[in-house]
Amino acid sequence: MSSTLGAAQVTAGYQAATGPDAADEPDRLARWTDGYRPEPGRPDEYRDADGRPRGAWPRLLERLARLSEPEIMARFVSAERHIRDTGISFRIYGDQREHAWPLGSLPLVIEAAEWRSLSAGLIQRAELMEAVLADVYGPGRLVADGLLPAAVVAGSPEFLRPLQGVSPPGGRWLKLYAADIGRGPDGAWRVLADRTQAPSGLGYALENRMVLGRTFPDVLESLQVERFPAFFQAFREGLASGAARSDPRICLLTSGPYSSTYVEQAALARYLGLMLVEGDDLVMQDGCLHVRTVSGLKRADAVWRRIDGDFLDPLELNPASRLGIPGVIEALRNGSLVMANMPGSGVVESAALSPYLDGIAQRLLGEGLKLKSPPAWWCGDPAGLAHVRDNLDAMTLRPAATPQRGAGRDAILGPQALAAERERVLAAFRDRPFDFVGQDLGPLSTMPAWERTDRGLHLVPRPFALRVFAARTPDGWRVMPGGFCRVSERENVDPIEMRLGIRSADVWILSENPVDVRHLGQQATPRVRRISGHLPSRAADSLFWFGRYVERAEAVIRLTLAHLRSVGDAVVTDISGDTEAPTALRIRALLEEWGATRSADMPTAALAQEALVGREVHGSARAHVISARTNAATLRARLSGEAWRVLADLIDLLSLDAARAFTESQLLGRAERALSHIAALSGLTHENMNRAAGWHFVDLGRRIERAINTSAFTLAFAHDEAGADCLGVLLSLTDSQVTYGARYMQGVALDPVRDMVLLDPYNPRSVAFQAEAIGRHLAELPALSADGIPEPHCRLAARIVAALRSGEAADFDVVGLTRIEDDLERLADTIAGRYFPNGPHALRPEKLAGLA
Amino acid sequence: MIYTLRHVTTYTYAKPVSFARCSLRLKPAEGEGQSVIESVVTIDPSPATAVIRRDTFGIETVGITLDAPHTRFRVEALSKVRVERAPPPAPESGRGWEAARAAAIASRDLGADAPVHFLFPSARVPLLPDVTDYARKSFSPGRSAYGAAFDLMTRIRADFRFDAKATDVHTPLSEAFALRAGVCQDFAHVMIAGLRGMGLPAAYVSGYLRTIPPAGRPRLRGADASHAWVAVWCGDGWLGLDPTNGIGVRDDHIVVARGRDYGDVAPIDGIVSGSGKQKLKVEVDVIPQDEAEALALVG
Repeated sequence: MSSTLGAAQVTAGYQAATGPDAADEPDRLARWTDGYRPEPGRPDEYRDADGRPRGAWPRLLERLARLSEPEIMARFVSAERHIRDTGISFRIYGDQREHAWPLGSLPLVIEAAEWRSLSAGLIQRAELMEAVLADVYGPGRLVADGLLPAAVVAGSPEFLRPLQGVSPPGGRWLKLYAADIGRGPDGAWRVLADRTQAPSGLGYALENRMVLGRTFPDVLESLQVERFPAFFQAFREGLASGAARSDPRICLLTSGPYSSTYVEQAALARYLGLMLVEGDDLVMQDGCLHVRTVSGLKRADAVWRRIDGDFLDPLELNPASRLGIPGVIEALRNGSLVMANMPGSGVVESAALSPYLDGIAQRLLGEGLKLKSPPAWWCGDPAGLAHVRDNLDAMTLRPAATPQRGAGRDAILGPQALAAERERVLAAFRDRPFDFVGQDLGPLSTMPAWERTDRGLHLVPRPFALRVFAARTPDGWRVMPGGFCRVSERENVDPIEMRLGIRSADVWILSENPVDVRHLGQQATPRVRRISGHLPSRAADSLFWFGRYVERAEAVIRLTLAHLRSVGDAVVTDISGDTEAPTALRIRALLEEWGATRSADMPTAALAQEALVGREVHGSARAHVISARTNAATLRARLSGEAWRVLADLIDLLSLDAARAFTESQLLGRAERALSHIAALSGLTHENMNRAAGWHFVDLGRRIERAINTSAFTLAFAHDEAGADCLGVLLSLTDSQVTYGARYMQGVALDPVRDMVLLDPYNPRSVAFQAEAIGRHLAELPALSADGIPEPHCRLAARIVAALRSGEAADFDVVGLTRIEDDLERLADTIAGRYFPNGPHALRPEKLAGLA
Repeated sequence: MIYTLRHVTTYTYAKPVSFARCSLRLKPAEGEGQSVIESVVTIDPSPATAVIRRDTFGIETVGITLDAPHTRFRVEALSKVRVERAPPPAPESGRGWEAARAAAIASRDLGADAPVHFLFPSARVPLLPDVTDYARKSFSPGRSAYGAAFDLMTRIRADFRFDAKATDVHTPLSEAFALRAGVCQDFAHVMIAGLRGMGLPAAYVSGYLRTIPPAGRPRLRGADASHAWVAVWCGDGWLGLDPTNGIGVRDDHIVVARGRDYGDVAPIDGIVSGSGKQKLKVEVDVIPQDEAEALALVG
C-alpha cells in the first residue's frame, strides 16, 4: 500500500517513518532513491537515460538527507499550515469553492549552467513573439511573404481586429511572457505552450517561495538558491515603462473575486504595490483612463490586465463583456495608456503557429529557434494535412486556435480519446481541417516526488509541467530565476491545468556563487511615501459595508444574549424570568423586526438559535457575518491575514448544524465567544490597518451602524414609560452596566440611562460618541470641491453632532429619538452617494437596444 | 440606379441618460458597383466628441460621446447613392467549391476584403453541426461554389418562414434554425453558418432594399426597413445572395457595411449610463430617383 504525501497524511506518516529512520545520511538517501525507476523513454530530472543521477538533484537530496525524516515532514507540514493560515487558494474553473493551495512536493532543482541556456532560449522566444505581434497588427509582411498563413492569424479568437494599426504605447506588445515547458524525448527542454495573453502563476511562485523560505531557510542558503526580489522589482519597472508621467499610477485589472486566480492577483497587487481594480473602477474620460476614487477621478497610466483581451472593451471588442471599460481601446490608440500585455497578444498562443515559428525566427532574428516546440502540423496546409491524416492514431489533435475559455479548453483528440468523442472530432476535421493542428506530443517528463510506504519515505517519478516567466524590463528581457511547477500525484495525469490531484512545487535555481541576500534588498530605494494612493470608490464601498455588517452582527448577538439572559440570569435588576414579561416580549419583537427570526413566538432556545446561526433568515448574526466576508473578499489586498482568519473562525463558530437543537447555555456560550471574535476583529482593524483612507471607511461603517442600532435599542428599551427591566437590558446591550453602576448608586432611571447611551460623549457605545467620530472621519476624508463650503454629508453630520451636543436626556422622547434615527439613516445614504456613486450597489452602464 | 436614402433612429429614455458612448455605421459603402454621391449624418443632441475611423472591414465608423444628460437621442442619416452592378453570374458557373475553399485558406491577405476574416465562427454565428449538415445537401462534389451557395439560399428561402414576431435582434442562431423562421438577420446568419461550416468564407451585409409600393398607391414615408443579406467568396471575389428573397444581389440592394455578422455592422450601438427603459424607433426611406419628386408631395 502506498500513497503520495498529502497534507493530512503527512502527520500520520511521522510514526511510520520514525522507525526505519534511525539510519544516518547515506542509508537514508539510499533508501529514498533505491527504487527510483523512471519509465523507459520518458526523460526524468533526477536520472538520465542510463539511470545515472544528474543535474542539481544529488546536491538537493544529499542536503535534505542530513535532516531526519520526521524533521523534513514536520517542515513540510508547517509549510502546509502556513498556506492554509494565509488563505492562499485557487478555484477550479466553474467551481464556486476555493481550494487551499497544495504545496507538498520537493522543489524542482535546476543547475545554473542549464538555467542560463534555458533562459537564453526563453528570451529569444519572447522577443520572437513580440516581433510576430508587431508584424501581424502592423505591416503584415509575414503573411504577405507566406511565412505565416493568413488563416492561422484570422482564425484565432484572440486576433483582435480593432488593434490593427495600433502601435503599443511604450513600444511593446509584451511585458510578461510565460511558457509551459517540459523535456522532450531527447532530454532537451521544449515549449509545450506559449502564454502571452495574461499569464498566471507568478503570484503562486512567489507564495511558494515565501513559504519554503520560512520552512527551509538553511537549505535554501546552503544550496545557494537564486532569489526573486530583483526580478519583481525589474518587472514592476517594466510595467511602468513607457507611461507618460514620471510617477505613474499602475493598476492591476483583476478578473474579479470569482475568478480562479483572484487570490493570486490580490497577492501580487499587494507585493508589487499596484492598485487592484475591477473594470467598474475604471472609466474613460477625455481620451484617458481614470480610476474612480473617493477623491474623484484619478489618471491611470499603466494597466496590468488579468482579464482576457477580448473582454477589455465591450464597445469595440466583445459586447457581452461585463468586465471591461467601454472605450478603453481609444486610450491605447492615442498613446495615453500603457498596457501589459497589449490586448490581442493572445493571438500568438495559437497552436497553429508552432510549425511556422522556426522559419519566422530565421527571417526576423536571423537564427533558428533555441527552444523548440513539439513537432506539429497545421491541417490547413495540404502537406500538413496529409501527414496528420496518415498518422492520425499516433497524433494529438488540437484546435488550431486556442479556445478562449471554459469548457472545451482541453478539447483534444489524443490517442486515448473515447470513441464517441473521436467520431465527433473526426467529422469536424473532414469539413474544416484547417481548424486543427496535429501534434506529436509524447509523454511528459518526470521529476522525483515523495511517496510514503510502510517502510518509510521513497522517491517516485511523477509527471510535471513547469511554467517559466520572462519580464520585459527597461534593460531588456529578464527571466525569473525560478518558476511555477505543477506535479501530478499520479503517474499518468497531465498537470498542465491546476486541479485536484495536482500539487505545486517551488523551483530552485542553484547558483554557482553565494547569493548575496542582503544586496537584493538594497537594489532600488523606493521613494519614501506615507499615503499608498487614492482609494477606489468600489473598495471604499466594500470597506464601509464590511464595517456595517460586522457591527450589525454584533448588535444581533447582543440582542440574542439579552434574550437568553432575560429568562435566566439577572441583568442588572432581577427580571421575573417570565417569557411573557414585557421586556422579554420587546426583545423578541425587535429580533423579529430585524429579520433575525421568522416568528417572535418560538421557544427561547429555538429563537436564539435562529437569530444566531439561522440560514433561512436574512437577519441572523451568521447572515451578517457572511455578508461581511463577501465584502471582505474583494479586499484581499487590503485586509491583513489575521483579520481574514478571525473572520473565517467567526463563520465556523456561527455555522451550527441547523438540524440539531441546542440548549440555552450552549447558545449562550457560542454567542459570548462570537462577541470575543468580533472584538478581536475590531482590535485588528483598529491596530493594524493603516490610517490612510481605507480605515476611515471601515470605521465609518461601524460607527454609523452602531449609532443607528443604539438609537433603535433606545427607542425599544428607553421608551417614555420604560421600567427598570427595560433600562437594564438597554445598559447591557450597550455594554454600559459597569459604568452606570459606578456613576449612579440609586439604581436605573430613565433620564440617566438615556443620557449615558445617547448623549455621553465619553461612553464609546453612546450615539454621541459615534456621531463625533463620524464627524472626525468626514473631516479627514478628501473633499471634492475646493470652494470651502462643506459638502451635504458633512453638513448633515454636523447637524446630528450639534443636536446631540446641545440636547438633554428629556429631549429624546419617542419623537426626538425617531428623528435622530432617521437622520442617521439619511447620513449613511448621503455618504454612499458621495463616495461610492459607482460602487457595486450603483447602476451599471447599459447597452443601447439594437435593431437589425 | 440612383437612390435617396433616409435612415432615422430615435432612442427615447424613460430617465435621463448622463453619458453615452456610441458607434455609428450609417454611411453607404463605396466600390463593387456602388458610389456615394452625398452622405450627411445629423446627431441630436450634438456630441461632445466625434471621431471617424475605418475599421478592419473598411466600414466607416463614427465614434461619438454625449456627456450632457438627455432623454432623447436621434440620428438621421441622409445619403444619395449610385448603384450600377454587373448582373449576377449564372448559378452553376465559376470555380468549384473545394477549389474556392483551398484558395481561401492559402490566401496571403489580411486586408478588409480578405476571405480569411469570414471563414471562422464569429460572436453571433457559431458553427453548428446541424446547420452544416443542412448546408451539406447543396454541396455535391465538384459543384461550383456560387451554384452551391445559390442552391443553399434557395432552400433557406423555401424552408424558412419570414416572421418578424418569431425572433428578435438577440435570438441565437440555433433557435432561429430550430424554428425555421425569423427575419432577414436570421436568414443571413443561418446561411453564413452553413457556408462557413462547409469551409467557404461568408460575410454579413447590411444595407437597404428597394421596395415597390402597391400599384397605384404612393410610397409611404418611413415604411421601408434596413435589410441584411449574405456575400459569399467564390474563389476570386465576393458575390451577394439574399436568402430572405431568394435572389442574387444587383441594383435593388444598397450596401452599407460588410462584416462577419450583425455585431460588426450594427448601424448604431453603444453604451449609456442610465437606469430607465429605452424606446427605439427606426424610420427608413429608400427612394429611387424616378420617385424622388413624388416624395416631396407626400412629405
